Order: sequence, then structure tokens, then C-alpha cells
Amino acid sequence: MDVFLEILRLVVCVIVAYAVVFVAALVNIVFERRFLAFMQDRHGPNRVGPHGIFQSIADAFKMIGKEDFRPAFADRGMFILAPIMVMIGAVAVQLTMPYTKGFTPGDLNVGLIYIVAVTSFTTMAILVGGWASRNKYSLVGALRSAAQMISYEIPMLLAILVIAMVVGSWSLNDVVDAQADYKWIGFYMPFTFLLYAIAAISELNRGPFDLPESESELVSGYGTEYSGMRFGMFFLNEYACMTIMSMVAVTLFFGGWHGPFEDALVIGGVAIVPFIWFMVKTYILVFALVWVRLSLPRLQVDQLMGFAWKILIPLGLLNIALTAAVILWVPHWRWGLLVVGWVSFAAFVGLFDPILKRRLRRQRERLPVVSS
Amino acid sequence: MSDFFLTAEAEPDEAVKLALRRIDEAQAAGQGSDVEGLRLNEVVVNMGPQHPSTHGVLRLVVTLDGELIKDVIPVVGYLHRCKEKLAEKRTYFQYIPILDRTEYVAGMNCEWAYVMTVEKLTGIRPTRRAEFIRVIVGELSRIASHLVAVGTFTADLAPLGTAMAFYTFRDRELILDLLEEVSGGRMMYNYLRFGGVRYDLPSGWVEQCRDVMKRMPKLIDEYASLVDDNAIFLQRTVGKGVISQQDVVDYGITGPNARASGVELDLRRTRPYSVYPELDFEVCTAQHGDVFDRYRVRMDEMRQSVRIIEQCLDMLPRGPVQSGSLRAPYVVTPPPGSCYVGQENPRGEYGTYIVSDGSRYPYRLKYRDPCFCNLQLFPKLLRGNKIADAVSISGSMDLVLGGIDR
Repeated sequence: MDVFLEILRLVVCVIVAYAVVFVAALVNIVFERRFLAFMQDRHGPNRVGPHGIFQSIADAFKMIGKEDFRPAFADRGMFILAPIMVMIGAVAVQLTMPYTKGFTPGDLNVGLIYIVAVTSFTTMAILVGGWASRNKYSLVGALRSAAQMISYEIPMLLAILVIAMVVGSWSLNDVVDAQADYKWIGFYMPFTFLLYAIAAISELNRGPFDLPESESELVSGYGTEYSGMRFGMFFLNEYACMTIMSMVAVTLFFGGWHGPFEDALVIGGVAIVPFIWFMVKTYILVFALVWVRLSLPRLQVDQLMGFAWKILIPLGLLNIALTAAVILWVPHWRWGLLVVGWVSFAAFVGLFDPILKRRLRRQRERLPVVSS
Repeated sequence: MSDFFLTAEAEPDEAVKLALRRIDEAQAAGQGSDVEGLRLNEVVVNMGPQHPSTHGVLRLVVTLDGELIKDVIPVVGYLHRCKEKLAEKRTYFQYIPILDRTEYVAGMNCEWAYVMTVEKLTGIRPTRRAEFIRVIVGELSRIASHLVAVGTFTADLAPLGTAMAFYTFRDRELILDLLEEVSGGRMMYNYLRFGGVRYDLPSGWVEQCRDVMKRMPKLIDEYASLVDDNAIFLQRTVGKGVISQQDVVDYGITGPNARASGVELDLRRTRPYSVYPELDFEVCTAQHGDVFDRYRVRMDEMRQSVRIIEQCLDMLPRGPVQSGSLRAPYVVTPPPGSCYVGQENPRGEYGTYIVSDGSRYPYRLKYRDPCFCNLQLFPKLLRGNKIADAVSISGSMDLVLGGIDR
């Protein structure tokens, strides 16, 4: 009977997780479109519902109503499978997320590793979809995506490893518990958060790392041959993942559901206020993601790879070594981490951009003057 | 396997066939695949005519080795509208509106080139006020055109550029409003006449134009502050797609693309026309000839255009805007002979060559379009670059297909 109940609970959780993923994606799409429009001095979608909030629902209905088109050369099975697969990563991550005090759909004792593992489902789906389309743009887009994901998963894992070292556990609930009383990891390890954030943006395929679907060169990358709701699935996933990645970041770095008035409102053993804190923090990060995308030009594929392998991974390893040293040898190691974290954060932010610009400027000065 | 690879014989498209044949030739010459046992590691990809980042309907048949561009074959003609043949069935006057539609981003300048050619053929002299008005609308048109060029070029680089493109297009409206007030059209002006212009400036227009010109330098600085100091933008543009001065000479590159390579070729200075000799402005050049320099030259030229317009507004004389009688521009019968006049279009030297047989219709009309000549350089310029560079380089060349295909 217990087993049956547990299975029932998990099934319900999966259904709820799917619902959350879809709703989050729809919200994000409208939010991003409106915000981009605001920044670009235009109106954006403002017709469907008040301030256009139902625009993406209207779009979803439109896409469901479209012809189910499949190119003649496409690999039938894989072509259909890819859009189904693409959502798995987002949903699977949801299932281990500690939403609020006393509610985690499925608490895994290896939650941190699990997150890194299942997020690569998206890459796999993109690769499958790009290959099955039998289109050159799709293929190049898919291969770019694979290369990018493999490169950026490493710095992401290195950042997560540091958290596991500090917390002493792989469980997400333990990570959140360790951050009670505003001892948020993001506060005393900002550098680790920076590494994680850069890698996560890249995992999301969002600007400035949106190479797999860089429309100015590859039309729309792996999604070129997809139309209707199959395209819609890829599209929804991209936006759902924004929320998912932000949720993970909040859990790991910004205290998860912790916040003031945690026990103010409890319904059926589930605290409501912490859930609100969790979502507020998540959407602050989503906002940051949109802003970053808007503000930076797109990198080029070789520059992207160089950034991961030459800069992020060495820095990630260095970060691990420093953190380990502090934990081992400094008596009040949390204070030690605070100092090390902020110093390295300031150094990276303060030095990286000027150094890069100086190099570029010098490169520009050294350019040969063209002459006959 | 056969789904993916078409042989040169089975390929129906001529350009792709040529690209495939070139691959085969390279392989026969021993420059084929570097991977053992792999017959083909180069793919032929169509960029255009329907592609998000080709401006207009340019089609590039690109041979790719991974991300590297091995070969480029530009295919033109998708926007061919028989513009040259149309001239032979219309009177000189009836042909003016068609000029707006050749290189539609800077229609005013195209009209100007044609009108100057006919004036030279017939010996009509425009009035002095008309000359100044022509310079003003021509330079306004140049700013509008450069705004489009810079905006779309940065939009190709990224979402950031999309924002910039919106800003530039927003401010282009200021100029289009001015041109609309003066001529009645936003893009298709039909404003210049043989010996003058169609209408005089409406009342209050000069003040309005001064106002816009006062705002323009600040707006240009705003665009510059968005991208000039951005590390990623610099990485994408510095040292990419270098045009040497030899290339400029060999391929007949003109306009900002030539000036970015340090060639001081500006017809407003080197072969002066209209009232340009009386005006004080600089010919903007750069030294390196890369993508970044081409972008910078355009930005500088906008500032210079603002200078020119302000001077013209100060110097604007009174008087008629049309020489001769009011009927004079409508019926023009030049004596037999031929004539070429080049004019500094925002994209380079735009000239018309007209052969007259003494009738009311041109016997033959031929364009020299700057974009068409700039396009010839593409295969050489793009070869060996990454596919992402192809987009930024072609964006920096600023092609308008209306002029190329005619």
C-alpha cells in the first residue's frame, strides 16, 4: 500500500511538474517579449488580454492548430522523438526541487549530481532533432550545441562541486538547510556563483551564448525543420529552462525558500510564504537573464570554446583548490570563504573586462595598415 | 547517404552545381578531405535568397568545411526588374521615379545622379537654391541610409544589435519625416527635376531641420556608446574581413568600404559636383580596412553629413528652385551623344551612363552601382573565415539588392 501511495504521489508530482514547466515557459515568453520591447523602445505584444499577458497562450493554440509537417528526408522516429525528449530535462529537475519548507517532490541524496545529469537531456534532444531533420543548418546547429554543452557542463559541475564541499552533502534539501539564517552561499561565495551563472546561461543556449540557434547565420539552428507544436516544444523548453536554471541557482546560492515570516501561513503541512520567497527570487534571476541577453552581442564559436576551456575551467579548478584550502586550514572557514570569495569576484569582474579590452585595443593597433 | 549528398550531375541548381564541381576538382587535385576514408567533409549550404541575415535577396552558395568557409558563389538576380530596359520606353522625365526604386535605401542620391547626367547632356543649369536643397536632401538621405546600414549590421551580430537597430530606425524616422515634408514620400521621393527640384522647402522646414541636426550628433554618440567599447563586439569585428588597397583598386570598391581601407576616394572631393567645393567637410578614412573600420567610417560620415547640412542651411540662398520656365523640366530632348556622371551615393560611386539619339527617349541607360562592384569581392573576402564572420562581413559591406539586381 505504501508503495502504491508513493507511486501515486510521484505520478501526481510529474503531472504537476509538467504543468509548472509549461506555465513557467508561457509566463517567461510574454515577460521577455514585453521587456525586450520596452528596452528597444517599441510596444511588443499588447493585444491579447491586459498588457498582452495571454499572448503566448494564443500562440500555443495557433501552433497546436498548425499542420503536422515532416520533411520527406527526415528520420521519422527520431524526428518525432526529439521534441518529446526535450522536455524531460526540465521536468526531471523540477522533481527534486525543494519548493518550500516541508515539500520536495522527490528528495534525492545525490540531487546536485542528478541536476547536472538530467539537464543534458536537452542537449541530447537537440542533437537528435538536428540529426533527424537532415538539414545542414540543423546539423551544424546541433553539433555546435553538443560542443557547447559539453564544454560548459564542466565549469558548472566545478561550481556545484564547491557547494558540495561547503555543505558536506549532495542533497538539495541539505543545501537549503545549510543556508538558514541568511547564510546564503551566494553571499560568501560570489565568485562561485559567477562561474555557475556563466555556465548556466550557456547551458540555456541564451545570449550571448545562443550559438546553436544563432539566427543570423544558421536560420534557426537545430529547429530549422520543425514547425507547429514540435517547434513549440523546443521553444517552450528554452523558456521553461530559464525558470528551472534560476530555481537551481536560487536553491544553491540564494537560500532556496528561506526568507522572513517562514511560518506565517501553513496549509496542510505546506508553508506558503517560503514558496513565495522562492518564486520571487527565481524571477529576479529570470529578469537578470533577459537583461543579459539583451545587453551583449553573440560570441563566435571559437571564442566561446576558448572562453570555456582557457578561462572558466582553470578558474573553476582554482576555485576548488582555494575553497578546499580554506576549509581545511582556516579555523573560521566561513569567514575565510567570505574573504576569498569576494576578493576573487572583485578581481575577476574588475580585471577580466579591462584586460580583454586592452588586448583587443593593442591587437587593433598592431593590425597592419593596408596598403598597396 | 544518398539523401544527404547530391552529385554535381544530379543537382538542378547551376550555382550549387558549380560549387560541387569545384569541390570535386579540389579533391582530384589532392586537396580533399583531411580525414582518412571520408569522401566528403565539405558541405554546400545556401545562404539566401530566403535567409534571416541576407539583406534583401542576396544568395550566397557557401562551401563549408565545418565552420570554415572554403568557397563562396554569390548569386544575384532575384530582384531583377528590368530597370535599364524600362528607360528605353519612357521619356527622360518619366524615368525619374524609377530611380528611387533602384537603390531604395538612398533613393534621393540615385535620382540626383540621373538628373545630373541628363543636365550635363542637355546643358540645363540648376538654380543655386536648388543646388543647396539637393545637397541638403542628399545628405539627409545619406544619414538615413547609414543609420540603416549600421543598425542592420549590428543586428546581425546579436540581440544587442537588435536594440540598436530599433534605435537607429527610430531616429531615421526624424529624417524621413523631414524628407516627407519636402517631397511627399518617405522612400520614393520623385523630388528632383532637370534644372531644379519639384517643390521649394515648406515654411518652417529649415528650423525643423536645424533642430534635428542639433539632436543627431548626440544620437550618434548614443549608438557609439552601445557598441564601440564592448569587448564581444570588438572581438567579432577587429581584424575581420580586411580589404587591402590593392583589392580596392582591383575590384573597383568605392564609398565607405574603400575609405575604410585608407583610400581617400570621395567623389564629393575628388570629382566635385554641385556646391560641394564651397562646403567644409572631411573625407572620413580609416587605416585597417576591417569590419570595425567600415562601421566606424559610417559613423564618422554621419557626423560629417550633419556638418554639411548645417552649413547648407546657413548658406541657403533665396530664389527660384527651378531654372527656365515651369514646363522646362517635363520635355527634355538632349542632343545625340553619350554621357556618364558619377555621384557619391552612401554606398559608393553611383553613376548613370546615358546614350542619347536625339529623341525624347534614352537610347540606352546603364548604371554603375556601387553594391554590384562591392559584391564582386565577396568570394575573396569570405574565403577562410568562419561562417559567423560571413554574416558580419556581409553586413559591414552594406549591400542593397535593389541596386545590384536593378
